[in-house]
Formats: sequence, C-alpha cells, structure tokens
Amino acid sequence: MSSLNASLYTALSGLNAEQGALAVTTNNVANVNTPGYSRQQAVLVTNEPVEQDPLTLGTGVTLQDIESIRDPILESQIQQQTQSQGQYSTLSSALQQTQVNFTTSTGDIGTAISNFFDSVNQLSANPNDLSVRQGVLTAAGNLATSFNTAANNLTQQQSSLDLSAVQQVVQINQLTQQIAQLNGQVSNLQNVGESAGSFVDQRQQAIDQLSSLVDVTVIPTDGNTLTLTTANGAPLVSGQQSYQLQTQNNSSGLHDIYSQGNDITGEITSGQLGGTLQARDQEIPQIQTQLDTLAAGIANNVNTVQAGGFDLNDVKGTNLFTAPALSGVGAAANLSVAITDPSLIAASSDGSVGSNGNAEALYALNSQTVIAGQTPTDYYSGIVFNVGNSTSNAAAEQSASALVLQQLNDQRSSISGVSLDEEAANMVQYQDAYSASAQVITTINDMMYATIQMTTLTG
Amino acid sequence: MRVNPNPYPDLLASVAQTQQQVNTDEQEISTGLSVNVPSDDPSAAAGLAVNADQTSQADQFERSIGSVQGEIQSANSTLASVVTALQQATDLGVEGANGTLNSSDRAVIVTQLQGIQSQLLSLANLSYQGNYVFGGTANQIAPYVLDTSSPSGVTYQGNTGVNSITLGTDFSLQTNLPGSELFSASGGNVFQSIQDLITSLQNDTGIGAAVAEVGNASSYISEKQVFYGNASDQLSTQSTYLSTETTQLAQEADTLGEADLTVVISDLTSSQTSLQATLETIGQTAHTNLFQYLK
Repeated sequence: MSSLNASLYTALSGLNAEQGALAVTTNNVANVNTPGYSRQQAVLVTNEPVEQDPLTLGTGVTLQDIESIRDPILESQIQQQTQSQGQYSTLSSALQQTQVNFTTSTGDIGTAISNFFDSVNQLSANPNDLSVRQGVLTAAGNLATSFNTAANNLTQQQSSLDLSAVQQVVQINQLTQQIAQLNGQVSNLQNVGESAGSFVDQRQQAIDQLSSLVDVTVIPTDGNTLTLTTANGAPLVSGQQSYQLQTQNNSSGLHDIYSQGNDITGEITSGQLGGTLQARDQEIPQIQTQLDTLAAGIANNVNTVQAGGFDLNDVKGTNLFTAPALSGVGAAANLSVAITDPSLIAASSDGSVGSNGNAEALYALNSQTVIAGQTPTDYYSGIVFNVGNSTSNAAAEQSASALVLQQLNDQRSSISGVSLDEEAANMVQYQDAYSASAQVITTINDMMYATIQMTTLTG
Repeated sequence: MRVNPNPYPDLLASVAQTQQQVNTDEQEISTGLSVNVPSDDPSAAAGLAVNADQTSQADQFERSIGSVQGEIQSANSTLASVVTALQQATDLGVEGANGTLNSSDRAVIVTQLQGIQSQLLSLANLSYQGNYVFGGTANQIAPYVLDTSSPSGVTYQGNTGVNSITLGTDFSLQTNLPGSELFSASGGNVFQSIQDLITSLQNDTGIGAAVAEVGNASSYISEKQVFYGNASDQLSTQSTYLSTETTQLAQEADTLGEADLTVVISDLTSSQTSLQATLETIGQTAHTNLFQYLK
C-alpha cells in the first residue's frame, strides 16, 4: 500500500521537474538571438520505482539532465567551411584592391607604355624636333611614374596585409587562451556530472571564430576537453594550456609567424590569416615580380638601343632610363628617366640630326618579343589577365564557400536553433503539468486533512 | 523533420546578393562598360589592354602620316617644278642651237639658263619646316652650294642617308631621297647638264649633245618623282586603312567590354523586383509565433 506522504513527494517531484523544464524553456527563449547558442532540452526521467509486494509503485520524475542539442559532425564541417570562407574573403578583398592598379584608364601602365612608344613614333617622323623630343621624355617620365605608382601601391598593400596578419595572430592568441579556459570549465563541470552546455556553446563559438582566422584542427580528448592544432600540427590548445603564436620581423620587413620557435608562415593555408598570407607572400609578390620584369625589360632594351644611336650632338646615346638592378628586383618601384635634356635622345643612326634610324629601332621594341618572349603590351595584358583571373577565382571560391556555409548554418539552425513556437508549446505543456501536480498536492492535502480529522474524532 | 526556425540569415544573404547584382548593373549602366575591373572578365580585360594599345598605335600612325605627308607632297611638287625648269632649259638649248644666232644672242640665252640654274639650286635646297628635304639625313645644312671650282658648278653637302618610318603593323615607308640620288646622280646629273649646256652655248660647240643631256636629266627626275608620288599615294591608302582598322578596333572593344544596355536594364529591373519581393517577405514573416496566440 502506498502512503499519502509518498504520493505527496511524487507530486512534489512533478512540481520540481516541470519547474526545471520551464527554466530550460525560459533560458532558450532568452537566448533566442544569442550567436552560437544551441537550444537546450530538459531530460525528464522516471524515478526509481519502489517495490511494495506485490506492487511496484512509481516515485515520480526527475529532471536528469539539461541537454544541448548539437551535431558534432556538422560543427566540424562548419569549421572547415568557415576556414575557406575566411581565407577566400580575405584574399578576394585584397585582390579587389590590387586589381584597381590594372584597370584600363589614362594612368595605367598599359596606357603609359602605348603613349611612350607613340611618342617615339612621332620622334621618328620628326627626329630633330625639340618639342617632339621633349614629348618622348615626358612620356618616358609618365611611364616611369605609372610603374612607380603601381609598385608603391602594391608595397603599401603588402604592408597593410602584414599589419592585418599581426593583428590576426593577436586575435588567434586571445581565442586560444579563451578556449583553453573554457576547456577547463567544461571538464570541471562534466567531471562532477553536471551539464556544461553553455560553456560548450561558448567554446564552440570561439572555435568558429578561430576557424575563421586560421586552419584549425579539433581533436577531442578525454575529459571532454579539446586539443586544437593548425592543419600542419602546430599546437594551439591542449587541455587547459594554450600555445601562443609569435610574430617576428624577417629580412623583407614583413612578419613571419612562429609556433614554439618554428617558422610556420608557409604552412598556414586557410582562414583569414591564410588568405592574408597568400595575398602578402604569393599573389602580390608575383605581380611585383611581373611588373619588375616588364619595367626592367623596357628600361634595359631602350637603353641598349639608345647606346647604338647618336644624339643631336652626334654623340653616342646614353641611358634614357636609370639602369635597373641586375636582378630586376625593385625595377618598377625605382624606374626613372635618366636624362632631362631632350637633345640627348639618340634618334639618329648615322650621326646626322635628320636621321630617324635609331628612333625606328626604339619604336620596333614595341612589337618585338623583348619581355620574357612577349611584346611589352602582350606581357602587360598577361599581367592584367593574371590579376583579373586570381581576383575572380578568389571571389568565386568565396561565394561558393559562403553558399555552402550558409546551408550548413541553416542545417545547424534547424538542429540547434531555438524555435519560439516550440518553446511556447513546451511552456504550455510544462505549465499544465505543473498545475496538475499542484492540484494533486491540494488533493493529497485534503486527504491528509480528512485523515487527521479522523484521528481527532477517534481520539 | 525540424525546420530552421531562423530564416533571417538566409533572407538577408539573399538581399545582399540581389543588392550586389543591382549595384553591378547600375555600374554597368553608368559606365556603359561590362568590364570595369579585370575580374569582371579577365580575358576580355587582357584583350581590352591589347585593343587599347592597338587603337593608340593606329591613332599615332595617323598623326605620323600627317607629319610626313606635307614634306612628301612638297618634295613631289618641287620635283615637278625641277622637271618644268629643265624643260625650259631644253627649249632654250634648242633655240641656242639654231645656227642663225650670233654670240650675243647666245649670251642672252646663257643668262636665262643661269637664271634657271639658280632656280634649280633653290629648288634642290627645298626646306620644309626648317629641315632641308633633299640633303639625306643631314637636314640642317643646305644640300647644294655654288662652287665654281666644281665641274657642275655646285657641291653636294648632304649625305646619302634615307629615313624610313613605321606607319602601320608591318608597314614601313621610305620618306626621302637624298640629293645625291636626284640632282647630282651619275645617271642624270641636273646641275652638270645645265652647266654643260651653258658652256656649250658659250663655246658654240656640242650644243645638241648638251641639250640631250638636259633631256636625260629631266627624264631621270621625272622617274624619281614617281617615288614621291607613290609615297604620297601609299600614305593616303594607309590612312584609309588605319581609319578602317580604328573602326574595327572600336567594334572589337565594344564586343569585349561594352555593356549590353538592353540586357543590363532588364537584369536591373528583375533584380529590383526580386529585392523588393525578398524585403516584403521579411516584412510579412516577421512577428508571427505561438507566443502571440497564448492568452
């Protein structure tokens, strides 16, 4: 036979459990807009029954656990995609800035090359006209300026990318520190059998942010902590210990990234830092090298032709452009016109002022394959293509990964997102159950009263 | 299956994407170009860079043609004047060969011939915009000067240099003939022939042969005049060709990078409609959940 007291406790367990469940709902509703929050579910279980021969009586309900609803495989896919997204959006926006140097406009290198050779053609028609000669010097100056401007823009962009890389490393270090701390909190709670849902959410949110910055690999370890490394194995977090990345100036004035004393700059391939480094160390230097090749090629060829002709004073021509470094490095940034006196242009091939033979030779450079097997303009258009292609590829990769990420986030939201309808329904359900339990208690109270009255009568 | 309870990120992404398309369309309409940055179409952008260079070259070739045309035409008409002067000399020589003339009659003719001689000297020293045309590439000194010690009466101070100029892709044109190939050429030496005619009239001997010599020089110059005539014709032909090329290049640039306004405007309209529809959807889906119905 069951006792009224036992029933009272059973009803009380109902009150407690429903109250707890309502608290879960309240928390879900409160966090409906919290980024990274996974909805929680009250896990209600029946209490151990008691056996009173021949019956087995239930003893009510317990709120056993508050469970966060999330899919770990989906989370890891989201991390992957967040890395790509971070990489390509950074790369894409860097290249968007780069390509502005190569739009067809009056100041671009292509136009300056055309204008220079046009001025030489005009010189060929009027070899001893001083104003035409001055025109050649002006066009040569504009050509040099257009190379200087583009090269300086690239260098500036490279420095600002370098600054971004350093800032990104600072952010990475903050996040890994935070994750190590959260690892500790999660494992402390879980070790004493408590639900660590909101810490896990915060940790997940931090890992997502970290994924957006760097290619991170997440390895679950015992005790519900996570070990984080870069894709190439440089440690970031192990248990409650975080490993800071360091930055150090290298010989080119840019920062290399070190982990535990090892230079890992070349190994970081995705995340915003990956994209920043790709733009800083690969894309921009590649364009710089091509500009240097073009600038050095034009300068050296023009100077060689100059040396083969005669100026207005029947003297062998001297350098029109200051000779670029033999390696060609910095040729675009340093290109400048070496002469200011227009009579020094060696247009003549026979020493007579009216000869245009050498001006023709200068002009011929325009259609000769003098720059790495291509004409100057073809080589330049190759640069335009490369820059445009890299930019449009990065943009395409970025929108593709954005689309995938969006779908994955939708999926995450459909699993882990808080639905207000669902919470409203839960609330009604818990409220009803609470009222019912309360009613049961009132009834038991009445019954107890009746029993007590009975005792009084007998006594 | 549980549905995604939060559609806003999707809707906002869609708004952003449509807005991006609207911006792109608006830029294309305002610039009239479909390729505004290389990434819009990398091959077209590269093609446009080459196209811009070719267009610039063609424009320059036109300007250079303009620069050399005047000199060539002036040389051409000068050589025509030389031929006319030599014709007059021939006529005077034929007149002087008439046996009825006495020495003073011939002296008058000689004076006239000396006039022609100095006219020829000035023609051969033609200067165009400060440059002597028939001195080869030595264009700052008069090609011919009087020189009594010389058998022809003049000395050539120019050189044998010629200039050629590039006026098109794979088209280059020689723009001058030096005086040594014109007035003092061994096949028809203009100055020698006039000097010989004057001497023969003064000595009253060999006048016929001297007249024939002047005739030779005249035909020689006529022949050489063809060079300038041809050059002038070639310049006109090339100029016509260049304007056709410029038109073709402009068409090519259109194909590569010109925005197709009809398409872009219809794109823009549909993007705007879609943007509006998405925004309206957001407005309407908002504010409905079960909580509002619980009393």
